[in-house]
Amino acid sequence: MSKAKAMNIKAKTNAIGWSFIAIAVIMICAFYFYPMIKALMLSFQTGTGTNLHYVGGDNYARLFKDQTFITALKNTFIFLIIQVPIMIVLAMFISVLLNDSKLKLKGFFRTAIFLPAVTSLVAYSVIFKYLFGNDGLINSLLTNLHLISAPIQWITDPFWAKITIIIAITWRWTGYNMIFYLSALQNIDNSIYEAARIDGASAFRQFSQITVPLLKPIILFTSITSTIGTLQLFDEVMNITKGGPGNSTMTLSQYIYNLSFKYTPDFGYAATVSYGVVILIVIFSILQFKLAGDKNG
Amino acid sequence: MKKLVTVLALSAVALSACSSNSDNNKNTANTGAENGGKAASKITVWAWDPNFNIKAMNLAKDAYAATNKDLTVDIVENAQNDIVQKLNTGMSSGTTKGLPNIVLIEDYRAQSFLQAYPDMFYDLSSVINPKDFADYKLGPTSVDGKYYGVPFDSGVAGLYVRTDYLEKAGYTINDLQDITWDQYIDIGKKVKEATGKDWISLDPNDLGIIRMMIQSAGSWYLNEDGKTPNIANNEAMKEAFEVYKKMMDANIVKIHSDWSQFVANYNNGDAASVPTGNWFTPSITAEASQSGKWAIAPMPKLAKTPNSVHATNLGGSSWYVLNVPGKEQAAEFLKATLGSNVDLYQKLVTDVGAIGTYKPATAGEAYTAPNEFFGGQKIVQDFAKWTNEIPSVNYGMHTYAIEDILVVEMQNYLNGKKIDDVLKDAQAQADSSVK
Repeated sequence: MSKAKAMNIKAKTNAIGWSFIAIAVIMICAFYFYPMIKALMLSFQTGTGTNLHYVGGDNYARLFKDQTFITALKNTFIFLIIQVPIMIVLAMFISVLLNDSKLKLKGFFRTAIFLPAVTSLVAYSVIFKYLFGNDGLINSLLTNLHLISAPIQWITDPFWAKITIIIAITWRWTGYNMIFYLSALQNIDNSIYEAARIDGASAFRQFSQITVPLLKPIILFTSITSTIGTLQLFDEVMNITKGGPGNSTMTLSQYIYNLSFKYTPDFGYAATVSYGVVILIVIFSILQFKLAGDKNG
Repeated sequence: MKKLVTVLALSAVALSACSSNSDNNKNTANTGAENGGKAASKITVWAWDPNFNIKAMNLAKDAYAATNKDLTVDIVENAQNDIVQKLNTGMSSGTTKGLPNIVLIEDYRAQSFLQAYPDMFYDLSSVINPKDFADYKLGPTSVDGKYYGVPFDSGVAGLYVRTDYLEKAGYTINDLQDITWDQYIDIGKKVKEATGKDWISLDPNDLGIIRMMIQSAGSWYLNEDGKTPNIANNEAMKEAFEVYKKMMDANIVKIHSDWSQFVANYNNGDAASVPTGNWFTPSITAEASQSGKWAIAPMPKLAKTPNSVHATNLGGSSWYVLNVPGKEQAAEFLKATLGSNVDLYQKLVTDVGAIGTYKPATAGEAYTAPNEFFGGQKIVQDFAKWTNEIPSVNYGMHTYAIEDILVVEMQNYLNGKKIDDVLKDAQAQADSSVK
């Protein structure tokens, strides 16, 4: 009798617990998992607009032959390999500077460097587009300083367009990453540095032997989020170069947009490309965890 | 137990709130349909460009309101990209809620909508008389002999040119009549020598000039069927590519990367000529200080392609009625205005500068009036004349998908790749990406 009652109470508490999360679970299923499964099914279909039919793995086979997809992938990797390390190092460097206890006006610098991260993606992209235009401010500045003789084709030259995009995203996201490093630095006990100084360690030694190892989880975190961010890069490219000139700044997200909205819509193939991005993100994240070793992540 | 009941009850309420919401939606849609059966009192129109399409629609609305006071026409301005996105998402979602009654669609995109969403458009065959409109507009607006669109503005193209710059190089506008693209480039070189000004402003991402060249020869990115790419064996396109490269190599091209830079290059006097659609007129005349310094010549033609003519098209769009409640009223509205009202077309010319494709309207006086900005040239009459000569082509479903492939191959060509390889590679890519 008493045992049954105990069971009853346990079942009751369980039921209450479940009912608390039930709404969240239902919502997540309805708005996350259901669309994901639908998109997966969509990625096995092709056709224009609403005339879709199943083609099995054809869409995935098409990915490997699709020049635009391959170019977009290459561009994304170029952005990834060049931009992410620059940004991470820069963010770490700035955060160490800002963490210096002797620095005056710390709050001002911190705000100034973080400020780009709160601007609207579209607004800043449009401003960058005009700054880097053929007759834009950057070109006039450089010509007036006699650093260059002819205007640089920041947006219309395949090489410089990539540089422009890299400059833009670095400007926008460095401050955001810096905040993570700064908060992590503030958690490092000052006595560790004190001990190191007593042992006669140089500033560089302190940085490489104390700061970096202790920041490892944050380095991992920021590189994963930055990698994911780069794979999803869209707003900047859409507004500054529209993927051009040619396909030289085309990114995967821009290509998905073009497939769905610019061309005659092929939502099936667009879903395939987005699943391609999903697979890449999963691979990269696993890779980064493995490379970082430990269970720090 | 009580608590559990409360929680369950609450979530049940929450869920039913959702479902009752969707019921409500259905109800409104139904009542909308019922109203539509009798007489919808309001129709919605989507279009882009406040200085052109929206202005034109407002004129049509006023003209209609004079005789039909009951119908409210709500004209909503959206950027063209936004309209394309909204139509795609709305139509593929399977619900018609939130879609307009009348929408403007660019001719290049028309087939992609008409064929991708076959049940979403209202057949206007009985509403308009297709013979009243320019022939080349009928292909894009119809599917299987059924007319879904009311053809609107003509994208007829002309060569806008600065006569004062021409004179400095020893030319007059008469030297630009009936020329080929090669002659056009030669004159451009002289003008650049004499004035230091670039001859033309181009965007490497927009092959509008290639489209104009090949349509002048009755050719397009796609074959007549509107589905299979026509690139590798397309002689007109081959010559157009060669002309484009020659133009780039001649160092007479100013590069722009967006619309505002493009317009600024002409308004600032940095570039001397622009081969483009007649809808560019308002952008030229916006710079009042250049009044009297511009003229419009017929388009140059391709020299080696025998059937190329001095008339072609760039852009242009048409009005479509969606298959949603209120379609009869919307069709009636279009029929009474852009489908038959000659006076309205005169007003479109004088007030908006919009040249329609409605043939009976071209005899009106607005079409024969001289334009002082263009040195007294009767530009509307000229454009109307060229409109009738535009070769009709099937834009098909994939204009922009193929253009993006060509843009890349064009860069390769400019960097030294052989023209035959360029076109062959473009063909292969196009074959695999459009099906």
